[in-house]
Amino acid sequence: MSGKNNYFFSLARAGPPSVHALGLAVTGAALLAAAAVLPLDAPPLSLLACPLRAATGLPCLACGCTHAFHFMVRGEISAAVWSSPLGALLAAACAAHALWTVLRLLGLPYAPRFEPTRAARWAAALGLAANWVFLAVRA
Amino acid sequence: MLARCPSCRNTFSTDRTGRQDCPVCGKPLVVPEQGQRAAAPTAPQAELLPEPTGTPWERRAELGLVSAWAQTVQQALFEPSRLFAAARLDRGAAQLGFAVLTASVFAAIGQALGLLVRGQSEALVDRLAAQAQMPDSFRQMLHTTKQMNSPGWFVVSILLLPLVNFVFVYLNAAVTHAFALLLGQSKRGFAATFAACTYSWAPLVLLAVPGCGFIVGIVWLIVLTGVGLKVTHGIKPAGAAASVLAPYVIICCFACVSVALLGAALRNILEQR
Repeated sequence: MSGKNNYFFSLARAGPPSVHALGLAVTGAALLAAAAVLPLDAPPLSLLACPLRAATGLPCLACGCTHAFHFMVRGEISAAVWSSPLGALLAAACAAHALWTVLRLLGLPYAPRFEPTRAARWAAALGLAANWVFLAVRA
Repeated sequence: MLARCPSCRNTFSTDRTGRQDCPVCGKPLVVPEQGQRAAAPTAPQAELLPEPTGTPWERRAELGLVSAWAQTVQQALFEPSRLFAAARLDRGAAQLGFAVLTASVFAAIGQALGLLVRGQSEALVDRLAAQAQMPDSFRQMLHTTKQMNSPGWFVVSILLLPLVNFVFVYLNAAVTHAFALLLGQSKRGFAATFAACTYSWAPLVLLAVPGCGFIVGIVWLIVLTGVGLKVTHGIKPAGAAASVLAPYVIICCFACVSVALLGAALRNILEQR
């Protein structure tokens, strides 16, 4: 952990969460709540079949994210990762951000800080590509 | 305050003076007090830039709510560069309010008008559903569309519109910002992306037009988001276009292919007549 910018992740002292931190936390919580409440086999979620896969047989980058959220909120982590590693990571990030924001509202004086270093950006791009390869091979 | 890094020449927003690191290149710099210069700076000194004046919507206290909203929409549609250049990055709540208010009110108007022409649209859905050569998922979608075209669903959707729009505003901004970060185009942080994404929701006034308003509004929204990113982050047009279009190309293919399927179904109907 460091305040310097050559680290991808650091913890910094911070005051109450910003408007955007609150907004993103509410959005993440809403997505997780929707995944907990809405069944996969009934509208509207059943209407979200990937047309790219239907047309080409290849998954798109976001394929399986709905299932990943569905399984993550039910604690079925391996099923979530199998559905979509990216979706599982996003669901975990939504939960972590919402929880951390609540803690900051309660007085926690630290906030995570991410620096988009070149290495981090390359790692993210490779991660997205690896996620897509995984989905394509699994399909 | 706005400052310009002496090393990378990118502008960034900061709420404090003194020694700090540039959020873009990470090099140390000193942000001076307004109207002062540090006696002996321990790092290169940043250049202070004048704060934007604020968009009409951000000055709605002096302009009046309706006038401020109308001027903001007018500028977004016809003078977008001027609007985005005036946007203040510390007015996130106001920008969120503009996007949610605009989309919710005009989507509600569009749904109300759609309810008035319900008979016409149900007949179209019935004609589409009667097609033999149609994927089951598309047939199910049409059936659900017909079910949801009722007064009961109208009331439920009106009540849910602000929450749904709130979520979509942040999702849109988060996905756009993620790709801007990935492509190295985020020069002034999430607040700049958020300002671009919220004011680019102005064309959603077209949601009031049943049928085609949604498609035209979304295309206009995408174009405006690109213009907004270019101005608020101070990046080149190609970088802004790549940041905006990448998520739509990679992730949001659903809407494009749905439109293509709808077009194919309509073509089948027309060919049979």
